[in-house]
Amino acid sequence: MPVHLQGPWSFLFGRLTLHAIPYDNVIILFAFTLAAVAGIAIVLPVLYFKKIPYLWREWITTVDHKKIGVMYIIVGLVMMFRGFFDGLMIRTQQVLADGPHSPHFLDASHGYIPPYHFDQIYSSHGTIMILFAVTPILTGLTNVIVPLQVGARDMAFPYMNALSLWLTAMGAALVMVSLFVGDFSDAGWSGLIPLTELPFSPGVGVDYWVWSIQISSIGTTLNAVNMIATIVMMRAPGMTWFRLPVFTWTTLSTNIIGLTAFPVLGVALAMLSCDRYIGTHFFTAGLGGNLMLYTNLFWIWGHPEVYFLVLPAFGIFSEIIPAFSHRPLFGYTTMVAATFAIAGIAWLVWLHHFFTMGAGPGVNTFFSVATMLVGVPTGVKVFNWVFTMYRGRLTFETPMLWCLGGLFMLLAGGLTGMMLAMPAIDYTVHNSVFVVAHFHCMVLLIAYAIFGAVIFWFPKVFGMQLDERSGKLFFWTFSTGSILVFVAMFALGFMGETRRLDYLYDPHMLPLLIIQEIGIGFYGLSVLIFAWMLFVSLRNRNTSLESDPWGTSRTLEWLTRTPVPFYNFAVTPQINARDELDWRRRSGLDLSHPDRFAPIHMPGNTMIPILIGICSFGLGFGMIWRIWWMAGGGLLAIIALVIFRSFQHTPGYMLQPGEIAAMERRTAASGIIAEQPSRPPLMEAGAH
Amino acid sequence: MAPVKCSHVKEHLSKWLTWPLVGLALIPLGGCGEEFRLFYPKGPVAAAQLKYTMIDVGIMLLIILPTTLMLCLFIWRYGKARKAAYDPDWAHSMTIELLIWGGPIAIVALLAVFTYESVIETNPYDPTVLRAPAGTQVPAQAPLEIDVITTDWQWFFIYPKQHIATIDDLVVPQGRVVRLRMTSTSVTNDFFIPQLAPMIDVMPGMQTRDAFSSDGPGTFTGFSADFSGAGFSWMQFSTRVMSGDGFSSWVAGVQAGQAQPNRGALSYAVFQKLAHPTLNIGAKPGYFASVDTGVFNRAVTDALNGLTYPVPADLTEKMAPDSGPSNQRRSSENGKGS
Repeated sequence: MPVHLQGPWSFLFGRLTLHAIPYDNVIILFAFTLAAVAGIAIVLPVLYFKKIPYLWREWITTVDHKKIGVMYIIVGLVMMFRGFFDGLMIRTQQVLADGPHSPHFLDASHGYIPPYHFDQIYSSHGTIMILFAVTPILTGLTNVIVPLQVGARDMAFPYMNALSLWLTAMGAALVMVSLFVGDFSDAGWSGLIPLTELPFSPGVGVDYWVWSIQISSIGTTLNAVNMIATIVMMRAPGMTWFRLPVFTWTTLSTNIIGLTAFPVLGVALAMLSCDRYIGTHFFTAGLGGNLMLYTNLFWIWGHPEVYFLVLPAFGIFSEIIPAFSHRPLFGYTTMVAATFAIAGIAWLVWLHHFFTMGAGPGVNTFFSVATMLVGVPTGVKVFNWVFTMYRGRLTFETPMLWCLGGLFMLLAGGLTGMMLAMPAIDYTVHNSVFVVAHFHCMVLLIAYAIFGAVIFWFPKVFGMQLDERSGKLFFWTFSTGSILVFVAMFALGFMGETRRLDYLYDPHMLPLLIIQEIGIGFYGLSVLIFAWMLFVSLRNRNTSLESDPWGTSRTLEWLTRTPVPFYNFAVTPQINARDELDWRRRSGLDLSHPDRFAPIHMPGNTMIPILIGICSFGLGFGMIWRIWWMAGGGLLAIIALVIFRSFQHTPGYMLQPGEIAAMERRTAASGIIAEQPSRPPLMEAGAH
Repeated sequence: MAPVKCSHVKEHLSKWLTWPLVGLALIPLGGCGEEFRLFYPKGPVAAAQLKYTMIDVGIMLLIILPTTLMLCLFIWRYGKARKAAYDPDWAHSMTIELLIWGGPIAIVALLAVFTYESVIETNPYDPTVLRAPAGTQVPAQAPLEIDVITTDWQWFFIYPKQHIATIDDLVVPQGRVVRLRMTSTSVTNDFFIPQLAPMIDVMPGMQTRDAFSSDGPGTFTGFSADFSGAGFSWMQFSTRVMSGDGFSSWVAGVQAGQAQPNRGALSYAVFQKLAHPTLNIGAKPGYFASVDTGVFNRAVTDALNGLTYPVPADLTEKMAPDSGPSNQRRSSENGKGS
């Protein structure tokens, strides 16, 4: 062992002992019961109805971009629920642990969670919400929508798409496993250095954090390659650059950020791993290391990552607001320019995450002004959306409500962001909950866009609309929660409450903490209403929908049948205008469907991505617990699988015109999602 | 979030916005007191920070307010039911686009000017707000130098000229400029006194600086603002501002060993023993009647040479049973430096 480890180590189990399973912790026992019940509730019906072959064929081995997108979103929503639970526990701890006379329960000296457990909870809350909830959901949405918006059959690299999904899912699985086996990191979602170094974090928590992010971010990087290739190469005839829907533009810019930024994170984490595993000194304070190097590398990824998340949200606003304003988007060209301006400036602002490191006036002024410049294109975007509504015919279906709510969040987040951009102000609130409230406004605006997008595009994928009444109720309870929690949090920031406190020193904060607790109660209520919304929608479903169930959508994805068949378009469409569906509607062509078909070349299923995913989980788990044989075995298996795959001839198969015609008729009549025909793949290479 | 006005959503609005509005109303009601520390600065640096907060918000409201109003107006005016003017094609106007680029650029240009000013005024190495106004003939008192060392998880304040030191208790004379030199023996912390001094990182193997002065006597909370591990929530120190005479007699008292608990002399060897991870629940102070010179410099040099004070696993994983209210202060066994 090249580094000194506290605690036992054995060849067979590494650092893993029975002691690592916190069976004596009531809270974790409760979480485990919840997870076990949910797991059984899913697995039992699958076994009972003999759905495993269906799951294997249609989902687990699929390369269909829509199903992959849906699985991304499911992973993200499950993780978002976990992240919400973390948030609930953080809020409850703080309201209980305020002032020296606060009560104490369970093992804690204040509140009900001891510091070490509390620190894990907020670290996992941040890591999960950013990297395992919002990122997969947005990746899933772009996966579902972008190929449809550009008129493609699938992503440019369907196999790699499935691989990206399973790497991300296995990263998320590692985070979940850390709940029951060992600990998660207690050093913040950003990996505060040198706290993440071995002397200060002797357990496996930081290793869980490193490897879950490392594995999933490889998936995100591959997805970025795929998305860029799809948008650049796979556009339907007539889909010129300046006819691209704005959501596709934002996806392009966001994935350029992703492709260039995520490797920086990977390198930073790899260097940190070297420090922790083989005793190098990249980021230590002494022996030639430089801890600010880590901080710089992390935020060189971390700030672009913020725009990686927010740009697709802006794209979603740009699709939904015109659809429910019954007007084209105002200032399309400006919107595209603003998108790329934000993506460009994203690279020049990372230092504002540590103005307090004590840099000189020159450095601080440069990064401060650069940060403020982001406000210019963002402001332009807000004005564009506002002017899209000018002289429109606004209707307030649920997706529109989410977008409008998101706009108000953006205004609040923008105002406070411009405050934080000024170092003199940052010196007073840098590590305070004011910052936490600010970036929650920004991430909430992304969540608002996500909920709007899920409801907006739900019928396209599943052939049924979500219930409007419960959807609106969901919106208003969620918004009430947001306002109560985060307005109070801004106020607490002015009181000087800093972040990550498991105990608060000032009893004056109690009223505001109680308001926050009520707010998180509303969030909890909204989770229940969300589940209710899904239930009601399923019960009252109407599956015979037009291609465009909203009646006012404008872009290409609404042209094909609803639910969209696995081959996307029966005939590759010819694009005539920027808002293609709107153009066809005005030309009286929107309801016509093709009746003559050409054979379609489809990619075949593959089980290699899920196998590589499982092996990468083994690699990660082995590295975390320093079970070297497991880590080595996982790595060798991945290499073997990649070599095996490179010798496989996978030309896919051809759909014949007769089959397409039959499936088109069935979709139109019954609204059932077409399943792929089971048939041996084409064996000769080069069929395409 | 401002209220959304529209006939379609009105009934939902009244139903679901009641609670947040009640909550919003409660905040200013509870917000009159000095617990809103950032609104009650007690020294020139904090006052400058509040001034720039107000300037920044004021300038931003010039653009945020009209935008919010316009957004609300359009949502209300162009609801389908109101049958206002409808233009299904209009999507471009050069005038508007020039305005919506020009407006934000002008605002940012204005803010940039104030930013530069504010950065100079509150520069932690030499805040110009602490300089005596040009032309005044007041004999400038030399700044009070204090060395700050953070450990896991306590504050050491060393007064090199006075040859005394304290744990978790910062005492300064009123009106005199205080200049801090800060370093850490373990992980990164963040020095912060909300009503007096800006937040500046305290890092191992490095020196940072901070400076402040105070308007009048009082006691103010200070603490670490950057998470540093299990004992972080208790990393507070009280900042006591005294009159010049009061400060002198306090210093004399500490030198005479009268400040309790008196911990004797702070040599580097003693410091190293105390630097091991210690959970100071209740942030209880301690005083040293004398200090060896060079403790601060040796702390920096040793950190650069790779000395760490490792956190024992039992202080992190299983600290709960050992750190109950009865066990107020607990030192770890000696971890070995690597």
